[in-house]
Amino acid sequence: MDKKLWEFKTRQVVYGAIGAALYGVFAWATNIFPLPAAGNITFRPAVAVLIFFGVAFGPWVGLIAGFIGNVLGDALSGWGFWWHWSLGNGLMGLIPGLAMLMIKDYRKTKDIVIAVGFGAVGIAVGMLFASLMEKVTGGIDLITALVGYFTPAFIGNLIVTIVLLPILMIAYHAVVSRRGR
Amino acid sequence: MLVAWKYRPRNTIIQRLDPRARLIFLACLFAAFSIAQIWDIRLLLPLFALSLGLYFLARIEWRDIKRVWMFILILVVFIVGINALIAGRGGPTEVLQEQSHALFQANLIIPGTTWGFTITITVVKAFFAVTQIVRMLTMAILAIPIPYTMDPAVYGVSFRRMGLPDKISFTMDLAFRFIPTLGRDFAITVDAQRARGYEVESLRGGLISRLRRLAPLIVPVTMQSIVTGEEVIDAMDLRAFGVRPRTWIRELHYQRRDYIFIGLGVAILLASIVLKLLGYGRFWMPEALINWTG
Repeated sequence: MDKKLWEFKTRQVVYGAIGAALYGVFAWATNIFPLPAAGNITFRPAVAVLIFFGVAFGPWVGLIAGFIGNVLGDALSGWGFWWHWSLGNGLMGLIPGLAMLMIKDYRKTKDIVIAVGFGAVGIAVGMLFASLMEKVTGGIDLITALVGYFTPAFIGNLIVTIVLLPILMIAYHAVVSRRGR
Repeated sequence: MLVAWKYRPRNTIIQRLDPRARLIFLACLFAAFSIAQIWDIRLLLPLFALSLGLYFLARIEWRDIKRVWMFILILVVFIVGINALIAGRGGPTEVLQEQSHALFQANLIIPGTTWGFTITITVVKAFFAVTQIVRMLTMAILAIPIPYTMDPAVYGVSFRRMGLPDKISFTMDLAFRFIPTLGRDFAITVDAQRARGYEVESLRGGLISRLRRLAPLIVPVTMQSIVTGEEVIDAMDLRAFGVRPRTWIRELHYQRRDYIFIGLGVAILLASIVLKLLGYGRFWMPEALINWTG
C-alpha cells in the first residue's frame, strides 16, 4: 500500500478514533490499578499505545489520538478539561508519526530503535509544551514547570515507551502479516 | 469492569446551556488568565466567586467529585502554594526581590556537608502564595465540572459547529462511541487472563517487570481493535464517507441565555486586557498587612 505521511482519509479518521478511545480507556484503567513509583512520577502505560498509533498510522492519527484520548481519559476519570495537557498529548503522538515511513519491518531492532527514538522526542516536546503552558496559564515559574511537571511526566512516559512499544510493534507485525495490508 | 461516564443529566441551568457557549466561556476565561496575567487579588476574587457560583449551579454531588478535589487541593496547595511561599517564584519580580518584613527565616544545611541555603518567608511571599492559590483554584473550579455536566454525545457536534473540520469532529464522535466497546473488550481480556492465573491486582517484581506484565492486557485489546478498525474503514468507504459534508443527528441552537453567557466571557476577557493595558492587575497586597509586620 502506498502510504502518504500527511494523508487524512477514512483510515486516519477510524484509527484516530480507535487510538483515542484506547488511550482514554487505558488511562482510566490504570487509575484503577495504579503503578506505584518514586515521588510524583506516575506511569501511564497508555502512552505506549499512543506512540504506537503514531508510528503505525502517521502524525494525524497520533495528534488526534493524543488530543481526543486525553480529553476522553479526563472525561472518564473526572479530572476536568485542560486543553494544554490534551494538546501536549497530541504532540506526543504526532512526532512519532513522522517516523511512519521509516518503519519497514516492525520486528527489526533498527526500526524499533527509530520508533522509540521518535517516541522519546515526542514525549519531550509534548510534555515540555504542556508544562510550559502551565507557566503561562497557571503562573508557575520555570523551575516548577520543569521539575514539578515536566521531569516526572517525561521519565514515567519514557520508561513505559521503552518497555511496551517494542512488544506492541512485534505483535502488530503479526497482525499486518495475517491481513496482508 | 464497567466503563462509566462521569456525566449524568441533572436538569440544571448549567446543563441547559449550549455546550458551545460553555466551551467558549471557558476559553475566554483561560485566555484572560493567560494573556492578561492578572495578579491583583482584588480582581481575582470576583472571578473566583463567579467560578464558585457556576460550580454550585452545576449541582455535582460531593461523593462523585471528592477524589478529584483531593488531588487538585494537594497539587495547588502543596506544589504551587508552598513553592510560592518559599521561593516566591512564578509571579512578578517584586515578590522575589522583597526580603523585608520576614515572618520566618531558617538556615538549612545538607547533612554531612557545609552546603546549605536560607529560607525566608516574607509577608509579601505569604500573600503572594494566597493569590497564587486563588488564581489556580479559579481555573480548576471552571474546568472540573465539564466531564460531569457535558453529555459525551455532544462533544463532536459542538466542535464541528465551532468550526472544526467535519472529519476531526467525526473522529471525536466516533472515539466516544468506541469507548463502551473497548471497555467491554478490556474487561473480557482481564477476565480471560485471570482464568489463566494472571494476577491483575498484585503485579509483583521490579518496575520494568511490572510494566512488561501489563502487556497481556494491553496487546490483545489493541490488536483486536486494529482488526476491527479495518472492518469499520471498509463499511465507511462503502458509504462514501468524506465525499460530502456530513449532517449530524443532534442539532444545536443558541438561546438568548447562551449569548448572554458568551457575552459575559468575552467581556471578562476584554476587561482583563484593558485593565492590564491601563496598568492595573499587578501584584497587590494590603498596606495594613505590611504595616502590621513592622
